[in-house]
Amino acid sequence: MTTPDGLSSGRLVRLVAGREISTRVRDKTFVISSIIILLLVIGAMAFQVIVASGSSKITVGVVGGDRAVVEPVLRQQGTTLGDEVTVVGLADEAAARRAVKDGTVDGALLGATGPAPQLLVDRSAGSGLQAVVESTVSRLALGRVLAQAGVDTIAVPKTTVTALAPNADQTGERTGVAIIAVVILYTLLALFSQFVAQGVVEEKSTRVVELLLATLRPWQLLAGKILGLGVLGLVQIVVVAVIGVVGAVAFGVVSFPAQLIVTVVAVVAWFVLGYAFYAAVFAAAASLVSRQEDLPSVITPTSMLLFAGLFISIRAATDPTGGLARVTSFIPGLSPLVMPVREAAGGVAWWEVLIAVALMLVGIAVVVRLGGRIYAGALLRTGGKTKLREALRAERV
Amino acid sequence: MLEFDDLHKRYGDNRVLDGVGFTVAPGSMFGFCGANGAGKTTTMRIAMGLALADAGEVRWRGRPLDSAVRRRFGYMPEERGLYPKMRAQEQVGYFARLHGMDGAAATRAAGEWVDRLGLGERRNDRVEKLSLGNQQRVQLAAALVSRPEVLILDEPFSGLDPVGVDALAAGLLEQAAGGVPVIFSSHQLDLVERLCDSVGILARGHMVATGPVAELRRREAGRMLRVVVPDAPPGWAAGLAGVRTLSEDAGDTLLELDPGTDDQAVLAAALSTGRVTHFAWREPTLVELFREVVAAPAEVAA
Repeated sequence: MTTPDGLSSGRLVRLVAGREISTRVRDKTFVISSIIILLLVIGAMAFQVIVASGSSKITVGVVGGDRAVVEPVLRQQGTTLGDEVTVVGLADEAAARRAVKDGTVDGALLGATGPAPQLLVDRSAGSGLQAVVESTVSRLALGRVLAQAGVDTIAVPKTTVTALAPNADQTGERTGVAIIAVVILYTLLALFSQFVAQGVVEEKSTRVVELLLATLRPWQLLAGKILGLGVLGLVQIVVVAVIGVVGAVAFGVVSFPAQLIVTVVAVVAWFVLGYAFYAAVFAAAASLVSRQEDLPSVITPTSMLLFAGLFISIRAATDPTGGLARVTSFIPGLSPLVMPVREAAGGVAWWEVLIAVALMLVGIAVVVRLGGRIYAGALLRTGGKTKLREALRAERV
Repeated sequence: MLEFDDLHKRYGDNRVLDGVGFTVAPGSMFGFCGANGAGKTTTMRIAMGLALADAGEVRWRGRPLDSAVRRRFGYMPEERGLYPKMRAQEQVGYFARLHGMDGAAATRAAGEWVDRLGLGERRNDRVEKLSLGNQQRVQLAAALVSRPEVLILDEPFSGLDPVGVDALAAGLLEQAAGGVPVIFSSHQLDLVERLCDSVGILARGHMVATGPVAELRRREAGRMLRVVVPDAPPGWAAGLAGVRTLSEDAGDTLLELDPGTDDQAVLAAALSTGRVTHFAWREPTLVELFREVVAAPAEVAA
C-alpha cells in the first residue's frame, strides 16, 4: 500500500509508533512505574540473598579441656544439620561470658561432658545453634553410656539417600521464578494495555483524531499506537528479565540458572502474545468512550479477565496438574499467564504449548479484526458512549 | 479547481446535505456561510474523508479525492484538536511528517511556522500550557506547515481576538495569493465579505446562493433606495405605487422598489417634500443577503 506521494503505510505506522514512544518515555507515570518495577525485582533478589546468607555459620565457644572431645562432635552435628560450625577454645566461664557478650561466639558450651551442660547465649539461642549443641550433648552422653557398658565403637549403618522426587527442588525453584515472572508479566500487560486505552481516549477527547484521520487510516493509527507501546513494553520486560537473571545468577539466589533462563524466555514470549491480545481489546473498548472518566466502565470486564488469569496462575503454581490450570492454559487471554507456570512446573508436553500458542494466535487474529472494526466505527463518534452494536454498524472512513 | 459536486448526506431521517455543489478556483478565497446546523461542517468533513457522502463527490484538479490527495490538503477541524502534552513545535513537526514531509524538512518547516505565527518563545511549551489564542495558532501552523495545495478551515476565526483575526486573515490571504484555494466557514459575515472572492450560503441542505460577493450584491441591488428628506412628514412615501417603506427615521428613509418602478418618480416625490440631502441605491450587505436567502420557509429542521 504505497501512496503516490511515497508515504507507505509502514512509514505512517512507524511515525505514529515513534510519537507514542517519545511521548511515553517522557511521561511521569511511565517513568515512575518502570522504576518501581525494577526496584521490586532488585528488592526480591536482595531479600533472597539476605535470607540465604542468614543460615549457615555458627561459632561455638567451648570451655576447658573438653574441647578435644567436643569439637569433632560439634562439627559433625553441624554438618548433619547443614551448618558450618567453628569451635573456639575458651579458658573459663568468665572468658566465655565475655566472648558471648562481645559477639565473638554465637554461644558458649560449658561442661559439655558433665552432668549439667550449659549453653551461654547473649539474648536467645538461634534454632541452628541450639539444635547443634543439643544433639552434640546427647551424642556425647550416649557415647559415655556405651563406653561404660563396654561398647567402644558401634558400627552405625550408613544410610543411603534415595530421593523420590529428585527434581522437586528444581521444580520448586522454577515455579517460584515463574510466579514472580508472571506477576511482572501481569503488571506490564495491565500497565501497557491501560496506556493503549488512555491514548485512544486522549485522541478522542481532545478531538485530535479528526486531524489524524485526515491523513491516516484508522488501522494505521491503531497499529502504530499498539506497536509503539508494545516495543516499549517489550524493552521494559526484557530489561527486567536481564537484570533479574543476571542478578539471580551473580548473587547465587538460584541453583539452576539454565532453567531460570528457559522460564524467563517463555514469559517474555508470552508477554508478546498477551500484549497483542489485550492491547487490541483495550483499544477497541476505549474507542467507545470520549472521556477518560468513562474509561473504567468499558475496560473493567477485560481487566477482570486479566486478573483472573493472574489468580489462576498463582493457584496453578501449587497445583499445576489440576483441571482448572490445564483448561485455562489453553484459553486465549488466560494462557499467557497460566501456561508459563505450568511449563515451569514441568509435565507439559511440547505439543500442549504449541496448541496454546496456536489458539492464542487465533484469539489475537479475532480480536484484532473485530477490535479494528469497532475502533474504526467508533473513533469519530465523539460525545457520550457509543454502543458496541452501533460501532460495528457505523460507516468506516 | 476544487469541485463539490452534488453532495448528499443523511443521518437517519435527517437530510443534512441535499445536493450541495460549488467550485473554488485556485487562488481564490471561498467563504462558506450558513446557519448553525446547515451542513457546513458535514460538507468539509466529507471533503477531508471524515464522513462518507451518500451520493456525489469532491474533486481536485478533476480527480476524485483519495487519501493521497487529501494528504496534500491542510485542514482545521471545527473542534480543535491537538495533543495537550506535546510541545508546540514538536507537534507541528509531527503533523508535517504525517503530511509526507521527511524528518529534517518537517522540523525546519515547523520551526519557521512557529516563528511566523509569533510562537517563537513558546515553541517548547506543552500545548496545554498555552493560551487558547496560542493553541489556535499552533492549530493553524499544523494546517499550513506542509505547504498544502488546498486549505479547508472550519470556523478558523472563532475564539480569536481582533489582533488574532487580523493575523489569521493576513495569513490566509497570503496563501490564496500563492495560488491555494482556501475554503473557510464563518459566522462573521463582515469578515467573509472583506476577505472572500466568492461566498456560498448553505441553507436547508443546499446552496441557496453562491458566487462572487459583488455579483450577489448586484443581483440583489437595484431594489433598495436610501432617501434622506429632513423636512418630509412621516409616511411621505406611502402613496407611491410599487414602493414599500422598509424603515423611516427623521426623514432617513429606506425604500424597497418593485421591479420596473421608476426611481425618478420617487425622486420627484422626495423633492416635493423639501430638501433632499441623500438619494442613492444601496448595495445590500452580506448580512442582508444572508437574511434574505436563509429566512425562506424552514421546511426541514436543521
